Amino acid sequence: MIQYLELTFKNLTYRKMRTFLTLLGVVIGITAIVALVSIGEGMTKSVNAQFDRLGADKIFVASMVAAGGSGEGLRDKDLNRIEKLPGVRAVIPVVTLVAGSEFKGEEKAIPITGVPAKEAEQVFSDAQAFRVLNGRWIGPGDRKKATIGFNIHDDFYRVKVSVGDKIEIQGNEIEVIGIFADTGDSNQNNRIFIDFDYLREIMNKGDEITSMVVRLDDVSKAEAVKIRIKEALEKNHDTTSFMVLTSEQLVKQITDSFKVIQVVFGGIAAVSLIVGGVGIANTMIMNVLERTKEIGIMKATGAHGSHIIKMIVVESGIIGLIGGSIGILIGYGISLGINIAAEQYLGANVLSTAVTMQLAGFALAFSFGVGIISGVYPAYKASKLDPVVALRS
Amino acid sequence: MSLLKIEGVGKTYHMGKVSVPVLKDINLEIKKGEFVSIMGPSGSGKSTMMNLVGALDRPSAGRILLNDVDISKLSDDSLATIRQKMVGFVFQQFNLIPRLTTIENVELPMWFAGIPKKVRMRRARDLLVQVGLGDRLTHKSTELSGGQMQRVAIARALANKPEIILADEPTGNLDSKSGSEIAKILTGLNEEGKTIIIITHDASLAKMAKRIITLKDGEIVDDTVS
Repeated sequence: MIQYLELTFKNLTYRKMRTFLTLLGVVIGITAIVALVSIGEGMTKSVNAQFDRLGADKIFVASMVAAGGSGEGLRDKDLNRIEKLPGVRAVIPVVTLVAGSEFKGEEKAIPITGVPAKEAEQVFSDAQAFRVLNGRWIGPGDRKKATIGFNIHDDFYRVKVSVGDKIEIQGNEIEVIGIFADTGDSNQNNRIFIDFDYLREIMNKGDEITSMVVRLDDVSKAEAVKIRIKEALEKNHDTTSFMVLTSEQLVKQITDSFKVIQVVFGGIAAVSLIVGGVGIANTMIMNVLERTKEIGIMKATGAHGSHIIKMIVVESGIIGLIGGSIGILIGYGISLGINIAAEQYLGANVLSTAVTMQLAGFALAFSFGVGIISGVYPAYKASKLDPVVALRS
Repeated sequence: MSLLKIEGVGKTYHMGKVSVPVLKDINLEIKKGEFVSIMGPSGSGKSTMMNLVGALDRPSAGRILLNDVDISKLSDDSLATIRQKMVGFVFQQFNLIPRLTTIENVELPMWFAGIPKKVRMRRARDLLVQVGLGDRLTHKSTELSGGQMQRVAIARALANKPEIILADEPTGNLDSKSGSEIAKILTGLNEEGKTIIIITHDASLAKMAKRIITLKDGEIVDDTVS
């Protein structure tokens, strides 16, 4: 084998420009595969990471009324019924709405999330990237108090909002007791969090609930509990405009859409690699034509057809392997560049591309395979050359 | 015992519907250790004869026995093995592989025969010393003179210790000084016991051999032992 490699090296360095151009075809294909797939994997990974923090032991229940569904939406009676279901440890109700606000004489509509004050910190801090920059989370007994998103503090109103300031919502003064750090998500940054019951009270929402987070006793029973929740909702309502999703389903919904992107990306990259493979085949056919006499000499000095086949297939395989290795390195570089750019322009943890060992291994194996397959036909042709004719050429 | 026995061998090339007989009913026996020249004008069938004897091609009729083995109907792979073990070629055009060094060119037949690298290198070096190129081991063939290239080719032909050295116009591309050096090397090999067959139309080279066979129009017209 070492002899074949030595010979390959001599052959590849003999026509440097041609070798370079052939390599380029493979390099471009593999670079494209590695870079594009790493973006796809990165998207999936960041979503998975977000939901890992969220935890698999949760089921999300939301009314579809706001999204155009019919019926009355979630009510306290649903909360009470779901709380009593077997397998349910706790239910945290959430109200989200937009209300009029006034700060230092400036009036503006503001998105508000109402969440039970005593559970707010636990629910949100382990679920999402919330970190308190200044002050604290709303906690037990905090009725007229709010913790606000970074943008609300920074540039929502003409004047910056600081801890201790008061924002008026529907004529009620609410004291800011904490400010979150930038989460990188503008929806989270442009929002204030206040107590669930207090928010319903001042907004006259009665017993309306926007959505619920159901915590489970046992993750493995998620499917069964989900069915029970659906049944409970059906008993309480005539219509079934509710979305009941386990964490897993929620993740799957999003990652499925990423998979489509990944397949499209991979397809584009595969096409370019096939073009690279055709380039290798072309080069090897040229090499065989050019080396016809040499192949005749080798046959005259005792080479079997199998020697000739191995020689050419090893050479084309090595072209694939070298091209693949370079492609992986460049693809990795591009992937890193995208990471840096994403962090700069989209914020931290939004898109973190990843070149996994599997991806690198696959790319390498694929490029080697393309190289070998591209060499098979020229190698077979060469092995069948008539030595008398080949020597005369 | 005869090393090479040619029995009623004919070779006909087909060009479309036209059949061109190149060799007709050749009968010949060459013993181990002989030094034979095959002479004849162009088109007399010399090269075809060399291709058949060298197991590069198969006859259309008759049998060729090499060490009592009929090689006229062997498969491509078996013919390759015969070429590898039994025959060493020396060509008019030298036919070295330009990318390889002198020693690598000599190693090549041994590589095909599966001989380990160390053994191969030692033998290749010895052979090159034997033909007077001990100081040119790592030169590329493009850096050698014609005479030197032909000496490399002879070393390569000897690599797998073949029964027969087949030389096709070995001095045809050389000046007279290099030519006589090559002739001397071949004579020396014969004296050491190698069977040598030279194909040539150069009468002075042919005379170095102890037996001269003359071909004309695909038939043996003369077979003289001096």
